[in-house]
Amino acid sequence: MENILVRNNVKVFGQGEKTIVFGHGFGCDQNMWRFVAPQFEKEYRVVLFDYVGSGKSDLTAYSYERYGTIEGYVKDLLEVMEALNAGKVIFVGHSISSMIGMMASIQRPEYFECLIMVGPSPRYLNDESGYYGGFEREDVEELLDMMEMNFVGWASYLAPLALNNPDRPLLTKELETSFCSTDPAVTRKFAEVTFFSDHREDLAKAETPSLILQCSEDSIVPVGVGKYLESHLKNSTFRLMEAKGHYPHLSHPEETVRLIKEYLSSFKEDYVD
Amino acid sequence: MDERLDRAPCGYMTINSQGIISYVNQTFLDMGGYSRDDLMNHHIESIMSMANKFLFHTYFYPFIQLYGHVDEMYLTLKSSKGESIPVLLNGKSYEGNEAEKIECVFVKMTRRIDYEKEIRNAKREIEEAYRIKDEALEKLEALHRDVERKQEELMRLNAKLESLAVTDTLTGLKNRRYFIEKLDSHIDHFFLSKTPFSLLIMDIDHFKKVNDTYGHLTGDQVLREFARILEANSKESDTVARYGGEEFIILLPEMNEMQSKQAAERLRKIVEEAPWSSCPVTISVGAATFTEHDTNISILAKADEALYTSKSNGRNRVTHSADLDGSS
Repeated sequence: MENILVRNNVKVFGQGEKTIVFGHGFGCDQNMWRFVAPQFEKEYRVVLFDYVGSGKSDLTAYSYERYGTIEGYVKDLLEVMEALNAGKVIFVGHSISSMIGMMASIQRPEYFECLIMVGPSPRYLNDESGYYGGFEREDVEELLDMMEMNFVGWASYLAPLALNNPDRPLLTKELETSFCSTDPAVTRKFAEVTFFSDHREDLAKAETPSLILQCSEDSIVPVGVGKYLESHLKNSTFRLMEAKGHYPHLSHPEETVRLIKEYLSSFKEDYVD
Repeated sequence: MDERLDRAPCGYMTINSQGIISYVNQTFLDMGGYSRDDLMNHHIESIMSMANKFLFHTYFYPFIQLYGHVDEMYLTLKSSKGESIPVLLNGKSYEGNEAEKIECVFVKMTRRIDYEKEIRNAKREIEEAYRIKDEALEKLEALHRDVERKQEELMRLNAKLESLAVTDTLTGLKNRRYFIEKLDSHIDHFFLSKTPFSLLIMDIDHFKKVNDTYGHLTGDQVLREFARILEANSKESDTVARYGGEEFIILLPEMNEMQSKQAAERLRKIVEEAPWSSCPVTISVGAATFTEHDTNISILAKADEALYTSKSNGRNRVTHSADLDGSS
């Protein structure tokens, strides 16, 4: 138990009885919630965490086998909730984390009261059937390439050497203001898991009520994707935000908090009925 | 100042927190082949590919919002002709008069990125080379383990063959060849140390009759039983062998004439009194003790002669060659 809390760098605060868990998306960590999460601490027990391989998680817990598919991240979320004995929670997930939350809710519906999906997408790639996810495969290849060239140590980090030397000290230098602090190979794998995953088939299996927060000009996830989710997810509520971009929780925290709270209060009334 | 900024040796741009361009310098416009109208009040993402938009969204905005600045971000921008322009971007946010502004500096890095990609490719090649090397090493080690295993197998087989080559298959005793080797080494030892030694040749009496009466299987059984008696009644240092047919031989180290006669008599008596499974068996024994005039041939001939004497004197007895009339 204890080691899962360390492994996933779990932070708990707030005074509520009910627990609200925030899951970060690809390329970031729990810091992304710093303008939003504190707004819930008066009414909720707030839980923040980093998926293994991101932020200040324990990199030694990473394995390509476990985290080669979204299933490893789903396990992280469920294990964190079990370690905290969190009961039925409200889960807020950004981007890929929305799908991680949804997959977890399919496995363990009893753990989830509702899902708040911020900029969710069940499939980032376009497909011949006419589905428009926003990305072509070449875009993703280019992205992986761009990311690699942006990482610290992309030239000095020799993967086989690192594997041969398990004692190799992890990057200890404080790189808080840089996005390059994580292991480039691990981040690349997470990008592949994110962009090549396809959860359209899973949508029908989800029963947990959900709120879809879609930015009005999200250049990563087209509005059509949010609409697609609304029509395929049972018990879902779609809200188009005034916020533009893909990070409303950073760029428009007030609106993000307001919409989540509105949903939770309406949801509470429904729930009591 | 504005004039100098306009012509500064780097692209310069101001955007608001939504990414709308509110200022762009001439150097930047020249870099991408744009006119001021192409970019002013447009979104910075309008000159980015999908991948760059994502990168910008994932890292630039969040880090500007969290930490106020972004350093050395590598991006590619689209020129007006659709070409990719690799740039290094530094951004810094500040509170303007009315709203948050982000100042961006772009440095073109066409040559630099080529170098860096070359380094990256070299790194990949090295990684691949390491992988191949590790694989080859793994194979080599497997091969080595295989060779070692086969070597052990070979040594085991060799030992088995060696033992087969000196063993009599019917009785499990040593064979004649082995005995001769032992005899030769005792002779060598004798001439060095003058330590005496003797040997006994033993022959089962009327063995032909056993075969004729009870059959060859019983004959073989008698041979095996005799071999067990010899083994059970000899010392570790003695060499017991089947000499041929129903003849057995035993080399007795450090025994002189008298001791060898006693040993022979003891064996003769044990055989006579042993509980044989098919029929009573006796043996005739010829003994000889090595002297400095002997060779391996002469001592065997002497023992043989003594055995012949035992036979002709009525069997079931011991004769030492030293007691024969002719030898002296």
